[in-house]
Amino acid sequence: MHLFLLGVSHRTAPVDLREKLDFSSRDVGAAVEALAARSSAAESVVLSTCNRSEIYVAGTSTATARDEIVRFLSEYHDLPAESFTPHLFFFSETEVARHLFRVAAGLDSLVVGEPQILGQVKEAFRAAAERRCTGPVLRKLFDWSFNVGKRVRSETALGEGAVSISFAAVQLARKIFGRLHGRRVLVVGAGEISTLTAQHLRAHGVGEVAITSRTAAHAQALATEVAGHWVPWDGFATALANADIIVTATGSQRPIITRALVESALGRHRREPLFIIDVAVPRDVDAAVGEIEQVFLYNVDDLQTIVQENLSKRSGEIERAEAIVNEELARFLVWQRSRGAIQTVVALRERFDSIRRAELQRLESKLGGLPPETRALFDQVTRLIVEKLLLDPTEQLKGLPDEETQVAYTEAVNRLFRLRDDSGPGDPATSSDDVTPAQRRSR
Amino acid sequence: MNLLPLILYAAAGIAYAVHFARRDAGAGRTATTLLLLGVLSHTFVIGMQTMEVRHVPFANPSRAVATFVWLLTLSYLYLELTTDERSMGVFVLPIIIGLQLIPVLNPGVENKDPVLDSPWFWVHVASLLFAYASFGLAGVLGVTYVLQFKEIKKKHLGYFYMRLPSLQILDRMNSRATATGWTFLTVGLIVGVVWTLEARRLAPGNTNLQAMSLDDPKIFFAVLTWAVYSFAVLARKIMGWNGRRAAWLSALGFVIVLLTFLPLSYFVKTSHTF
Repeated sequence: MHLFLLGVSHRTAPVDLREKLDFSSRDVGAAVEALAARSSAAESVVLSTCNRSEIYVAGTSTATARDEIVRFLSEYHDLPAESFTPHLFFFSETEVARHLFRVAAGLDSLVVGEPQILGQVKEAFRAAAERRCTGPVLRKLFDWSFNVGKRVRSETALGEGAVSISFAAVQLARKIFGRLHGRRVLVVGAGEISTLTAQHLRAHGVGEVAITSRTAAHAQALATEVAGHWVPWDGFATALANADIIVTATGSQRPIITRALVESALGRHRREPLFIIDVAVPRDVDAAVGEIEQVFLYNVDDLQTIVQENLSKRSGEIERAEAIVNEELARFLVWQRSRGAIQTVVALRERFDSIRRAELQRLESKLGGLPPETRALFDQVTRLIVEKLLLDPTEQLKGLPDEETQVAYTEAVNRLFRLRDDSGPGDPATSSDDVTPAQRRSR
Repeated sequence: MNLLPLILYAAAGIAYAVHFARRDAGAGRTATTLLLLGVLSHTFVIGMQTMEVRHVPFANPSRAVATFVWLLTLSYLYLELTTDERSMGVFVLPIIIGLQLIPVLNPGVENKDPVLDSPWFWVHVASLLFAYASFGLAGVLGVTYVLQFKEIKKKHLGYFYMRLPSLQILDRMNSRATATGWTFLTVGLIVGVVWTLEARRLAPGNTNLQAMSLDDPKIFFAVLTWAVYSFAVLARKIMGWNGRRAAWLSALGFVIVLLTFLPLSYFVKTSHTF
């Protein structure tokens, strides 16, 4: 069984072409089923995100695989092949595994280490598995890639630290308040970053989002978008006193939140911290507000600095993540090779067992008079002898260090024991579990 | 006998440091396992000593320190296992290891004075040791709060920011540890006074008992500790002293606890001999 991968990604194709080749807006399961129906692929998975459309195939035919997938892409998306073929990448065998492991680890992402990709890879595999388009090879490959993704996340800092301003603000809020459930957010003004931040905070379970703006219509529109409620501009000071987190992004030319305003809003008995995120330029919050003991004030430059630091930290972790990918790739190749030897091992066992049974048959006239228990014991002892004789050769064949040695060893075993006379050339493609999706579905 | 727990605590300390520096989950699990083994062996040691002298061994400064270490370790393990938060280990273990060195280097002989043979006395010592263990944890939580607070306030999100829990969690745990410690300290001190009065009546010739008063440095520091923690508890409730102020108070309180516990026990002449 051979592995192929063909696709486009943010590294090879512009966004307009990626949009045209996107499967995610349609039913990915139906796409993978359509691919399986019109190609010789025994197993296939379609991975489609906003940054990539990739088709993973395990099949027997190396010569036609590429053309078949290109034809499928062209017909499925109704695009002339010439419009996208210069942007395609094509990998086979080991490089397919290496690529998928890097993708699952977040190493091939536009923002290195972003966490969503592992879930997207899992989802792609699930969609294909539900349509019975996967088999033992892709199942093992994808399972392995999930493990690589998990290892990279737990053993490196590749995915750590926010790499967008809005997410950096949410992470800071979590470091100050812990869980955000029940926290009250006040959004002042309705800019893009403040909207994104409010949405992220909402997704992290904040209890209440109040929005105020000089232009009531803007505030009301944002309130609808983030499931919050609108507060009239003249109620701003009261809303400020009730808030745990303030996100401010007005177009004001002078600070609208001053130290005196915050101090009077907090009063003498305010115990809880107040986190102010000022994403406005020029700033909405007087710098002196940050001097108040329980106030944590971050402006857009502070958040930008955090994002830059996190990005540079992530790039420092790439080497460690690549080392994990290489380590897992080496293990995966050992598994693949052991799989290649299975056919020979099975044939060898069958040959030994047939000799054993033939000898017992030959001695039938002499053994016939023995009681059934003694005959059962004979059968058991001879089977055990065969098992013990084959134990070491089996382990050796499965654990061969490289492909060249494996070919030489299996060839030698085939010749020494005349295995091909009985079982054919030993191509793993003929293995009983390597069947086409059509066959699998018909079972 | 105290050496085996010390070795296991030291090994756990190294594992906690590796866990903290590298954020390695495996090292964290190893650290917890080693600490559990350490506290088990320590339980065995204390159990053996209890059988030997027929009461929990804390009527001698070194053995009292060993029992305090045992209680601190148990309290820390309770905190770790209930919050699933291992980052405090690297701060608590140096205290545990440092204090456990004392009984190893200077085992001491358990005081078998018959005047101590009263349930009041054991409640007094057990309550105070548990209170001190809680204050130890509160002190560590206070220090970590300040470290985390400084990084967030000054916008230098660095080493501790990535490794410590949120300010809110640290503050809540600090509040709980301080309140628990204060309750046990109060009970311990009241029981101590009751026992002293009773013991004076039963042993009128005992000069140590007669000399016990606020003039005694150990008793003075114990009352000072109570005053500091009472202020910490009340200030949080009434004046809203939480966060950094509460953190500094718990760190200061624990310094006084250590002063009461160590230099005074070994180097200052006091009527309070343990």
